[in-house]
Amino acid sequence: MKKMMIAFMAVWGMVSCTKERVLNEPGNLVPRTVDQDPGLPSIFVNNALLHAEAFGHPDSTLIVVIHGGPGSDYRDLLTSKSLAAHGYRVVFYDQRGSGLSQRFPHKYYTSLGRGAVDLMYDELSGVIAHFRTEVNQKVYLVGHSWGGILAAGYTGKNPDKVDGLVVAEPGGLKWEDIETYVKESRSFSLWSELFNDAGFIEQFISGKTDQHEILDYRAGMLGSKNDITGDDAPVPGNAWRAGAVINAAMFEVGDKYHPDFSAGLEQFQPPVLFLYSGRNKVYTSAWAQHIAGAFKNVQLCKVQGVGHEGIIANSGAWSTITEPNILKYFQSL
Amino acid sequence: MISVTLMVSGYLSMAQTVNWRAMPDLKKNIIGISLGLDHSVSYGLSYGRSVTVAKLPAFITAEFLMPSGEEKLDDFKSKAGGQIRLIHYRGFQFSARVQGVFRRYQNDFVRMLNFGSDFAGTAGLYQKKWFIAAESGFDKAIVTHFKHSALYRAKYGNVVDGWYEPSTGGNFYYGIQTGFNFKSHSVYLKAGSVRSQDFKTKPLLPYYGQVGYTISF
Repeated sequence: MKKMMIAFMAVWGMVSCTKERVLNEPGNLVPRTVDQDPGLPSIFVNNALLHAEAFGHPDSTLIVVIHGGPGSDYRDLLTSKSLAAHGYRVVFYDQRGSGLSQRFPHKYYTSLGRGAVDLMYDELSGVIAHFRTEVNQKVYLVGHSWGGILAAGYTGKNPDKVDGLVVAEPGGLKWEDIETYVKESRSFSLWSELFNDAGFIEQFISGKTDQHEILDYRAGMLGSKNDITGDDAPVPGNAWRAGAVINAAMFEVGDKYHPDFSAGLEQFQPPVLFLYSGRNKVYTSAWAQHIAGAFKNVQLCKVQGVGHEGIIANSGAWSTITEPNILKYFQSL
Repeated sequence: MISVTLMVSGYLSMAQTVNWRAMPDLKKNIIGISLGLDHSVSYGLSYGRSVTVAKLPAFITAEFLMPSGEEKLDDFKSKAGGQIRLIHYRGFQFSARVQGVFRRYQNDFVRMLNFGSDFAGTAGLYQKKWFIAAESGFDKAIVTHFKHSALYRAKYGNVVDGWYEPSTGGNFYYGIQTGFNFKSHSVYLKAGSVRSQDFKTKPLLPYYGQVGYTISF
């Protein structure tokens, strides 16, 4: 008993003599957001400070690149800034609550009900308006994963405001398809290291609602790899910071209201380029054709050799398959 | 060395789920093995030694839990402490358990070492050959050391390593447990729900469960 007390005191002494750090202190475990770090590039859109950058001549055709999640960020999509060298103005932004953009409470989204999706559409409108230098400037959207869903939904609501649309593996456009895809793409074996890594950490860190630093850090620990979607190895520097609260809130809204992101797409006349990966085990050609069926005029392109994240993020696949196909598609418009 | 550690840890638990009514028939020491859900699929070894504290029956306990997965021993949880029967009225008994916890977690991004505590109360009906009881407890991560990998630093170079306090996390759990005894052998089953300390957030695995076997000697 005496020995146990000595050991306990030794450990406590060791801990007590070090500088106290707290998990939710900005900058400790996850990077600061644009409202906490004025040095980051940002724009103010619809009452939110968004982390954003643009490359290329301001008057060129606008390509807005939309990241996945909800709650991921545009860091691994920066590969596509090479489109600027082909005469385009390429815009990247982290959606509110995601990446390095400003955080909002869980209720901020859920209290809007179905309107939470409109909030994301309005934000995209705001980003386009911010970077547009003239009313006739063409706008192309490139959306990856959830970004593809958002881009499709926006296009269906605003068919006259979008001149070209590229979607890369949107899980689904109807809620039932999204649910199916998400469930299958995360169906890790209970016995696997991936499941263990995701679950065991919850004994160490369990943030409360709206403790963004803690929840984002924990969510970021899971975004490393997924052998179901073909992303077998972690990629260094693939993301800045996860947005755990918006992710949970948007799924809650989706579960409750079953939004249809394919609504109005029949009004969109230009062709759509639909990309999917060769290594994603649940995004088969049959699934791609099923999801792409919502578009009136669609070209499917399978990006071989990569998984879900690699369609744009993998520099090799980007330069040899994805970018050439996107450029060819844009030139056809 | 590892096997020695496991063996020693294994000698230390099982008393966590114990039939107090059968105690007079048991020997001083109990060892056990288990398989369960505890924020992952986990294998466990345990040891308990019966003692008397202020004329009350008690157990000194220790256990070692290791989750499944391809990487062995990158994650584990060990507990050491005691369990005491406080109330005894005919078949009804109430016991309390206090354990210190040391656990480790590692993935591609970080290695965490944590000191914590686990407090629980168990109340139920205990007979010579069987028991059924309800339990409720709180597992708290009190202080955690973070050491991030080069992979995480490629993501965020200014991450601050070191000890983080005060409490970095905690989970409440509540459920039922039942068991059967035959001679010096016992099998038990327990299952229940887990909730994060804010009572709002559900963990990825919002349930716990354990099936185990013990033998006294």
